[in-house]
Amino acid sequence: MAVTVATGAVKTKREGTFGYLLPALLLIAFFFIVPVLMLLVRSVLEPEPGLQNYAVLLGSTTYLRVFLNTFMVAGVVTLVSIVIGYPVAWLLAIMPERWSRIVLAIIILSMWTNLLARTYAWMVLLQRTGVVNKTLMGLGLIDQPLALVNNLVGVTIGMTYIMLPFVILPLMGVIRAIDPAILRAAALCGAGRLQCFWRVLLPLSLPGIAAGALMVFVMSLGYFVTPALLGGTANMMLAELVAQFVQSLVNWGMGGAAALVLLVVTLALYAVQLRYFNPARGT
Amino acid sequence: MLLDFDKLGGLRTALIALVALVCLFLILPIVFIAALSFGSSQWLIFPPPSWTFRWYQDLFADPRWLYSALTSLKIAAIVTVLSVVIGFLAALGLNRGRFPGRDFLRALFLTPMILPVVVLAVALYALFLKLGLAGTTLAFIIAHLLIALPFSIISIGNALEGFDRSVEDAAILCGASPWEARLRVTVPAVSHGIFGAAVFSFLASWDEVVLAIFMASPTLQTLPVKIWSTLRQDLTPVIAAASTLLIAFTILLMIVAALFRKGRKA
Repeated sequence: MAVTVATGAVKTKREGTFGYLLPALLLIAFFFIVPVLMLLVRSVLEPEPGLQNYAVLLGSTTYLRVFLNTFMVAGVVTLVSIVIGYPVAWLLAIMPERWSRIVLAIIILSMWTNLLARTYAWMVLLQRTGVVNKTLMGLGLIDQPLALVNNLVGVTIGMTYIMLPFVILPLMGVIRAIDPAILRAAALCGAGRLQCFWRVLLPLSLPGIAAGALMVFVMSLGYFVTPALLGGTANMMLAELVAQFVQSLVNWGMGGAAALVLLVVTLALYAVQLRYFNPARGT
Repeated sequence: MLLDFDKLGGLRTALIALVALVCLFLILPIVFIAALSFGSSQWLIFPPPSWTFRWYQDLFADPRWLYSALTSLKIAAIVTVLSVVIGFLAALGLNRGRFPGRDFLRALFLTPMILPVVVLAVALYALFLKLGLAGTTLAFIIAHLLIALPFSIISIGNALEGFDRSVEDAAILCGASPWEARLRVTVPAVSHGIFGAAVFSFLASWDEVVLAIFMASPTLQTLPVKIWSTLRQDLTPVIAAASTLLIAFTILLMIVAALFRKGRKA
């Protein structure tokens, strides 16, 4: 009886947990939802009401180039990251811990290093007189220095460097969760190595690959710093376009329109991820 | 077979070689920058003709570098405290509350982390221009808090998942007020989550570039903004010196985090 009363007291004292959410809620409402909506509204109101900003954005070849650049770089970065990251994650998942610890420390160090420091490193490494060109020339692979910065090649290299850890770490978890006995069973039943890989290991890690690929693709679509520094002005990507409309051209209507396009693509891809690859739903 | 390290055969050598290459790819740019920061070449020629501390002297001779670093530190410290406190409350509310739309709220709280940060930067910039807050410390703090908060909510939320709530209830039954119980029982029990929240919130603010570029004014810059605006002019080795100090700071932070984890296990 006393206990019932007491737990009842605890319960009454617990009420009103919603209040705890209030500070976060107010912050998100006033400084996230409101400003983003305001920006989107401006895209259909400025300079005058209508959809002309979107017509210009989606109808001109200049901006079409930007969209193409963005999707191409994001696609290539995703593909390369997965192709390189998968075998690394695979070995990391099964190698002895004293080795994997060192590899993980290197991955985390590169991830935590200031983004500008990393991008600066690639600007220096890839310049005409940089180490990469000198090494390639020293090896006799090229006669003339390659143009590796101020173009999309530089952007792709710099962004792959940044995205690689985001593929390796989650994939490692997915591969670790696969029971090695399944592959032993496949081998016992007569499957060759290649068959074991294509028909057992790869399909089992496919959800992880898809989730990682989608995440890297979405992150790459909206990336600003690395494309701006390694790509040069002639090879703009979508995030730079948004910034340029607002900062240099002070054209809030077009800036809002470009931001909306970026936002819609991002949210659509995340919806796909939640629908098909949500780990919480056990798929 | 394919998941047994000792039975991979020739494939193992190939995989190890690839992992070694990727490790080199990840670590070399960092080592390279650190080496160049001590090299005497203005044009960042590698290997440098001779060694020097000149770029570090230049770095410390220009008060704007130090000032921007202090600005970064101040903003990151305030953001960390706010993010941990608001994040703890929000995580507690999400963990304990039973109300419709809880999953939606959780997703909403995490959206600033997944949205392209440039959209948020432009939107906030427009709002702060209207409110007359553009270029103020407050603008920086609000902007960075938005992207730091998701890290706190995730980190503390995960810790709360693993905490048995009946321990807190027991403290209340023993006469503690709910807040006393929370501060003296729950908070210590989830301290690893709070520590993680603090580290990630600090880094989220300290390293943040895009929001900072839009929030900055000629008189108020964080360190990343200073590096950014210098980088847009030229590739001076002074940036290598600044980057090297940042890398050293990162390694220090990793060691602290590792020691903290070790201390908890022991």
